[in-house]
Amino acid sequence: MSDIIQIVIGGLLQGGVFAIVALGFSLVFRVTNVVNLSQGAFCVLGAMGMYYFQVVFGWPIVPAAIAAVVASTAFGLLVGLLTFVPGVSRLPTSSMLVLTAGLLTFLIGITLLVWGNQPYALPPFSGEAPFVVGRLRIPTQGVWLAAVSAAMIAGLWLLLHKTTLGRALRACAENPVAARLMGIDLPRMMLLSFGLAALIGSAGGVLVAPIMSLQFDSGQFFTISGFISVAIGGMGSFAGSIIGGFLLGVAEQLAAFYVSSLFANTLSLLLLLFVLVVRPAGLFPSGPQRRSDIRDDPRIYRAAVHLDGYRAVILGGAFIGLLALLPAVPLPFGILSSLVISLILFIAVLGLDVLMGYAGQVSLGHAGFMAVGGYAAAILATSYGWPPLAATLVAVFLSVFCALLLSVATARLRGHYLALATLAFGLLIDSVAVGLVDVTGGPSGLVGIPAFEVAGFAFDTPQRMYYLALALSVILVVMLEGGMRCGFGRALKAVRSDQLAAAALGINVGRVKVVALCISAALASLSGSLYAFNFHFLSPEMVSTPRSFEMIAMLVFGGEGTLIGGFFGSLALTLLPTLVQEFAVFKTAVEGMVLVAIFLLMPEGLFGRLALLLDRLPLRLKLARIGADL
Amino acid sequence: MTAPALECHAVTKTFGGLRAVDDVTLTVPCGSLCALIGPNGAGKTTLFNVATNLFAPTSGEVCFFGENTAGLTPQRIAARGVIRTFQAARVFPGMTTLENVMVGAHLHVHSSAVAQMFWTRKSRQEELRLTSGADALLDLVGLRRSRDFPATDLPIGAQKLVEIVRALMTRPRLLLLDEPAAGLNDRETAELAVLLRAICDAGTTIMVVEHNMSLVMGVADTIFVLDAGRLIASGSPQQVQSDPRVIEAYLGRTKEQAS
Repeated sequence: MSDIIQIVIGGLLQGGVFAIVALGFSLVFRVTNVVNLSQGAFCVLGAMGMYYFQVVFGWPIVPAAIAAVVASTAFGLLVGLLTFVPGVSRLPTSSMLVLTAGLLTFLIGITLLVWGNQPYALPPFSGEAPFVVGRLRIPTQGVWLAAVSAAMIAGLWLLLHKTTLGRALRACAENPVAARLMGIDLPRMMLLSFGLAALIGSAGGVLVAPIMSLQFDSGQFFTISGFISVAIGGMGSFAGSIIGGFLLGVAEQLAAFYVSSLFANTLSLLLLLFVLVVRPAGLFPSGPQRRSDIRDDPRIYRAAVHLDGYRAVILGGAFIGLLALLPAVPLPFGILSSLVISLILFIAVLGLDVLMGYAGQVSLGHAGFMAVGGYAAAILATSYGWPPLAATLVAVFLSVFCALLLSVATARLRGHYLALATLAFGLLIDSVAVGLVDVTGGPSGLVGIPAFEVAGFAFDTPQRMYYLALALSVILVVMLEGGMRCGFGRALKAVRSDQLAAAALGINVGRVKVVALCISAALASLSGSLYAFNFHFLSPEMVSTPRSFEMIAMLVFGGEGTLIGGFFGSLALTLLPTLVQEFAVFKTAVEGMVLVAIFLLMPEGLFGRLALLLDRLPLRLKLARIGADL
Repeated sequence: MTAPALECHAVTKTFGGLRAVDDVTLTVPCGSLCALIGPNGAGKTTLFNVATNLFAPTSGEVCFFGENTAGLTPQRIAARGVIRTFQAARVFPGMTTLENVMVGAHLHVHSSAVAQMFWTRKSRQEELRLTSGADALLDLVGLRRSRDFPATDLPIGAQKLVEIVRALMTRPRLLLLDEPAAGLNDRETAELAVLLRAICDAGTTIMVVEHNMSLVMGVADTIFVLDAGRLIASGSPQQVQSDPRVIEAYLGRTKEQAS
């Protein structure tokens, strides 16, 4: 019996942190209607600050903690001012979700630069000796955590319900336009909520650093756990966030004790999917529920990128010819392999473009389909001796089946709930890949995967893989272009911005979305299989959530809704770390920065911008000629 | 005798205690151009939304061409040739004017997504045929020049026309237009009236919800007047114009009448 109580105490401790992160989520969501995925990174920033002030500079605990929280809150305000607030007023909520994913990646990258990839633990505030009550042992840090969390929750409640500022904040949540007309400075309120959330998060990080060892990517863990808590409890509901956090913490600890620590994650994700499917608004839904799904906010949308057929064929042909000749040129070591990887990833990004760029459905778990494809093909080929081609095709069917299951489960979900369900899906697949050690090799990966092979011809050199990936990419681009320029593509684009108007014209919105998801799942699966065959090795971290975010960064960098744009994105983000070795450590931070900057400064992406320029070129030439004649 | 294009039988829709549409019975015969008018908050748009099943009626039933709409999704209703437009111009952002209009051709794209992906001859021919149809319609309303510009860059009046042209691309049997003249100037309104008459004469039944009397009076065959959810008058423009209840609803009672 005391075992259980001991576990529950552990769960409540962990849940306390989740609740703090969840509170930050709810706060920002209430004011801006955006799910801020960067929330968890502030915990790590707080902890990192504490490490420097306390351990490196040797400050006493209280000043060090205050300095750490102040520093990370200030940094949070700066980040919010430069990225989050301008974004909220300009971008549709789905893009904001991706933008905050970019912020998360950026902050993780910053932590990696400062901390390296070592885990850090800090000394507890009041010594190592726990309180002992009967046979129970309660770490003193837990008491600190509980006390400070309670104080923060009470303070937040007082702020929101008893002050004019709080009323202004709540007004922004319920009706931003009216709030603005009443003279409330909306951007300032958004910044304030973002800063408050950063403050709460970093305080949580400072408190939890002594009980959990943290490393650069713990931010992702906090974001995900906090998000699961808030989704269980009810997005935007403060009481719900806190209860959700404790529920999740206890459930995870119990699962880790009674089932397996490898599967603790799996169970909490299943819990999340269950809640999302059964009660999308969470167990304690908050009052105001704005619907952002039927029609996206009338904010700026991507420009209609349009390159006419004649120029597309000539430019495209020349470009493919150039790529085909590339292996004949002596290239520096590693470049060809990087090209192969970028082409393989491009196949998945193509699918993501159909789903995100055309159908407007954000998928934050696309690497999950890559994992399904990669593992299924690799396992069939290694353990069962299947020919790689057949294994790849079966894996594609399996992924499409997963996509169908996911769309049945999430049929009622819309907008960011759908995006978050895909995030949960990706994490779920990841945790299964880690947990099923006997089948997948667990965290250390699956080795001995053969080369890809068709009818006895093995693609076992980078050169052969290059031509295979190039040929597949070209075929897929041509095929998808065929679909996208016709009725199917138009139906997708109509659904992207206005589902109601699309349905009123006879478009079966549900079916169109499912088809888009299946196509993108099939392409991600194909890409995942090729990826595994190319490396002869597959580990969960090669196809986990950071990969999903990376693919989104590639797509956004190249240009959504352009098909070909993703190639430039995947090329840039794959080739740069190879070309500039010193760049490798900056990769994560740069990826995040690219994602955020492109969204804010060039929402049509690199290729989108290029196509617009090309489109206007004839007009400019004509004007120049008229000018010359005069 | 064919079934009427639209029949509402004792349709009532309440929101909480508010009877937004109260026991409305009306019939729109095939081939006619009808208008639904009434002061602000009379329940016109609600009746439209109930008719196209955006929300189910509290009681009563709606039939299109003799078929009850209960349980039909908006998409099914569209597939039966009943197309509606929205009060605010809802062109699709991120698409050119031509693409916007082509979305309306969705029900007439018969080649599958797979056929389109393989660039089959049939799908390309179909695409060309539908594109030339869309071009012809854009020509008709004078928007041909804007075909390759983003539709959201057009002025509101033109966006409203794009929406109507998009609806026409579906080759509707019944066109339900929700305030097509809102935001249009007088000249554009007059042009719209001519266009609506022409569409109707070409065989499409039209029902317009409208505020703008100048559009409605000149062009409608039959006018239904709603006030506070109730149908207070119906008939030809002349009949409705002289109906004291209509005058009262629009202008209020005069002192003499009240006393």
